[in-house]
Amino acid sequence: MRFKWLLLRSLTVGAAMTIVACLTGCVTNSYADLPKPVLSANQLPTVQHPRPVTVLFQFLTNGKENAAATGLLKERVMGAVTRSNMFSRVSPTVDSSQPNILEISIDDQADMGKAEAQGFGTGLTLGLAGSLLQDAYVCTASYTSGGRKASATGRAAILSAVGLHSAPPGLKPVDQKEAVYEVVDQVIWHSLAQLDGEGAFSESHP
Amino acid sequence: MNTSTSTRVRGLAIALIALLAAGCADAPAPKYQPAVGNTEVLIKQPTKLAVGSFTAAPGVENRQLFMRGANQMKGGGADGTFSGYLHDAVVSELQTANRYDPHSDLLLSGVLTRNAISAGASKGSATVGAQFTLSRDGRVCFSKTLVAHSEWPSSFIAAIAIPAVIQLPGHLSEAAR
Repeated sequence: MRFKWLLLRSLTVGAAMTIVACLTGCVTNSYADLPKPVLSANQLPTVQHPRPVTVLFQFLTNGKENAAATGLLKERVMGAVTRSNMFSRVSPTVDSSQPNILEISIDDQADMGKAEAQGFGTGLTLGLAGSLLQDAYVCTASYTSGGRKASATGRAAILSAVGLHSAPPGLKPVDQKEAVYEVVDQVIWHSLAQLDGEGAFSESHP
Repeated sequence: MNTSTSTRVRGLAIALIALLAAGCADAPAPKYQPAVGNTEVLIKQPTKLAVGSFTAAPGVENRQLFMRGANQMKGGGADGTFSGYLHDAVVSELQTANRYDPHSDLLLSGVLTRNAISAGASKGSATVGAQFTLSRDGRVCFSKTLVAHSEWPSSFIAAIAIPAVIQLPGHLSEAAR
């Protein structure tokens, strides 16, 4: 419950709209709009010689550091990188003089003003005028090893429907916490798959 | 919906929004998270540092900051102070970059010189200042006062105020180069 509340306070358009509208009792549904194909950990490329990596993670809200959300999601991010099996060891701190570093930045790009306005409108009609708004999550992953750097980007979104609004086509409602977790896993795994495709983890990459 | 009912619903909504936006409770400072940019700078430094005491200058609020109404933010350091929070933040940054050594002869200490937060209805802001001192074997070899300021659009996402503190170790790294 505390996690869910902190998420609502820390993240997003969906949060702003939900908070405002739900004060008057409206029903809220979250939908994770994930990049295709949706990956599981065992579908990721196999790295022949996995190396240890230091993961540096930060969560941004509209380009600004969001320390509270970073703290809430750090464990999930570390878990997603670990479950990829693309590294021999995953650490949140630098532990050698020449580390391999994976920087992961997830930016929640949201129109807060629009969210609050729509949520307020939905709240005033007690949910009869439903609203649907989108949080775009843009993940930038940069891998530095031996002085060389490669970058990749993954994108996903969380749609929040408040009041009487139909579900987005092809998407099922999920718990907001689960939606965030799904988005985090998928944008990271897609970014790692891209990096592997560019040869970032190969032997020839020093 | 008649005019009277509509007015009451709107009034209730506005009152609840105002209540929520105000926070309605004391808020501890969020747990400090090392910034990626700071780690990038620190891992390029050749030496490791020990971290000494961090205190507050006379007259600088060190335990709690009051915002609108009766709301307050409490110092989030291990000792319940904001200077302790800054101490813990510096240690966290150095540990993440593997540049922390409690036995190093280079000792970083600090004094909180400014500490203010403002949370208006449409905009919030925070200002943090500190004097950092680096000493070797008891002799001061570097000292600088740095100030960081951050603004955010509304109290819905007050958690992003923390970049004011995040900027300080970054400014310190740049100043030390």
